[in-house]
Amino acid sequence: MQDLIGAIGPILQSTVRNATPLVFAALGGLFSERSGVVNIGLEGLMLISAFAGVVGAHFTGSALVGLLTALGAGLIFALIHALMCVTFEADQIISGTAINLLALGGTGFLMVVIFGSGGTSPRVNGFESVAIPLLSKIPVIGAAFFDQSLLVYLMYVLVPIVYFVVFRTPFGLRLRATGEVPEAVDTAGVNVARMRYYGVALSGLLAACGGAYLSMGLLSAFTEGMTNGRGFIALAALIFGRWNPIGAAGAALLFGLAQAVTFRVNEQTLPIEFVDMLPYVLTIIVLAGFGGRAIAPAAIGKPYRKE
Amino acid sequence: MSVEPGAPEGRGSAFRRMLTGTAGALLFPFVAILLSFFLGAIIVLATGNNPVTAYAALVKGAVGSPLALGRTLLYTTPLIFTGLAVAVAFRAGLFNIGGEGQLYIGAITAAWLGVSLGSLGPVAIPIVLTACVITGFLWGSLPGILKAYFGAHEVITTIMLNFVAIDLAYYLAQHPLRQRGPIPGTETIDYAARIPTIGTALGRANYGFFIAILAAVVVYLLLWRTRRGFELRAVGLSPGAANYAGMRLGLNTILALAIGGSLAGLGGGVEILGVYGNMDVPFVTNLGFNGIGVALLGRNHPVGVVLGALLFGGLTSGAQEMQFATDVPLQLANVLLAVILLLVTATKLVELIVGKRARDFAAGTHLEKGLGS
Repeated sequence: MQDLIGAIGPILQSTVRNATPLVFAALGGLFSERSGVVNIGLEGLMLISAFAGVVGAHFTGSALVGLLTALGAGLIFALIHALMCVTFEADQIISGTAINLLALGGTGFLMVVIFGSGGTSPRVNGFESVAIPLLSKIPVIGAAFFDQSLLVYLMYVLVPIVYFVVFRTPFGLRLRATGEVPEAVDTAGVNVARMRYYGVALSGLLAACGGAYLSMGLLSAFTEGMTNGRGFIALAALIFGRWNPIGAAGAALLFGLAQAVTFRVNEQTLPIEFVDMLPYVLTIIVLAGFGGRAIAPAAIGKPYRKE
Repeated sequence: MSVEPGAPEGRGSAFRRMLTGTAGALLFPFVAILLSFFLGAIIVLATGNNPVTAYAALVKGAVGSPLALGRTLLYTTPLIFTGLAVAVAFRAGLFNIGGEGQLYIGAITAAWLGVSLGSLGPVAIPIVLTACVITGFLWGSLPGILKAYFGAHEVITTIMLNFVAIDLAYYLAQHPLRQRGPIPGTETIDYAARIPTIGTALGRANYGFFIAILAAVVVYLLLWRTRRGFELRAVGLSPGAANYAGMRLGLNTILALAIGGSLAGLGGGVEILGVYGNMDVPFVTNLGFNGIGVALLGRNHPVGVVLGALLFGGLTSGAQEMQFATDVPLQLANVLLAVILLLVTATKLVELIVGKRARDFAAGTHLEKGLGS
């Protein structure tokens, strides 16, 4: 029993760390999908940002500059997705898949060009853990939630902010309407294409925070393919959380907790592969159970053509 | 919601229809490939190399010698299978993003049965491959059932099932089927039960390539020469009309995705029996995702899929020679493939380049339906 209580702190700490990149990417996906653009490219957006962050930090020695280069890369790749989907009316699923492959191939290519070989980059200065006075001293949960890197605190703040922006501001209303009934938004004099560009651009910036956390928070280096499906788990969290920021963050924490628990228990009792399946299986069940069609934004996936 | 894959509907004589059809079929891939290579040339220049030298080496590495050609065939083979897996579903109006996972299901089936039946020698090959078709079929039917009976969109379920399949295959390869030894993966299959190579001149290229061609022929016959194929395409072109004509949408949905799954599954089996001989963890990745590009480049027609796979396979193969002859990392090939996929459905972009008629050619690259409807 004493052992169990002793394990709760580390498990919670690991839960928060596992969940942070997922929450960022899921919030990003939320902006894109609420505006009507499917974003299965979250994986690629995170990967290219994780790489760009390490490049920035490597050449300047500053994690903050790394975060900025990560944001820049995430934004550029997101804008490529928006350009394809919104302006050129390419298929959103195809474009998202291409973004993923482009990030994977592009980082592999640039690893050799910039660092001379593939695999893992040199170590860089990442974001150190910063303990918040008083709060981090709370027994059991203090260190887990309040002795983390700055990016984790940014994540805490962003969840309510995203909720507020999406559900309580005129911008959020327009964004949601663009994803549900673009015709009506157009009639009301709002530029549908511009709203979708905003949505996709925000998804790039948020996914970039997730990518930066991977390579400069969890680790202090870039490894090829290091996102390892996290973009798709974030997509699962978004759907599981029914396109709501609080729900998506909750789902991400749940998935993070499942991983954290597995790391602690004996592999023989519960093979890690089955825990890794959990987000995907749960998402399928949710989609099947709630009749998937009812919950996604209505106009998602369709290019909008002005008649 | 309109679903419009398939050949573009031109007006006028059958001959003219055929012309516009072919022109349209070539236009989008042509623009995408050209732009991709143009962008690639800029990247090569940026790395301080000569694009002409690099591309010459690329072509030489793809088709310049029997050995290079053999390597190209080796990389082409799995892409034909995964491309067909996407194309069959697409013809029925469905997006199969699950080729990656379906290939893993076939691969782990072959890795397991290949070892168990290895003592049978060559007789084991058709048995193992048939088993791969069956497991791929069953796995592929899952998103079909989820769509037909529960309304879950196949794009999301096939994506999610990819990871379930990969985790499942990795679990099996690392626990019940794990080989004795330090490397995580399954036991190696007896050489007698492997797909033989074509000839030493072609290097490691094996008869799996011909199995892939055979699969393309079967897909063609199925889609254009059978009643079932007619139904699948009718459902893809106009679900409403097909339903009105008494065709069962649910059954055709399940069948289209299941057939796709069986093709990717067979591809996984051929990779194991023809190339790898066992499943290591991690196993080869992105064959399924690149199959999407192959299918779209090939306009979801079996002949196009084979040509698209040859292009993708050739690029991958030639990139090795390019890296050898210049300083350009071979990963450039992956970048080029991704850019082709990015551009191949960009309707308005092609319109900008060749004028307004492009929209008539666009049919066949779009499934214009929302995930939410």
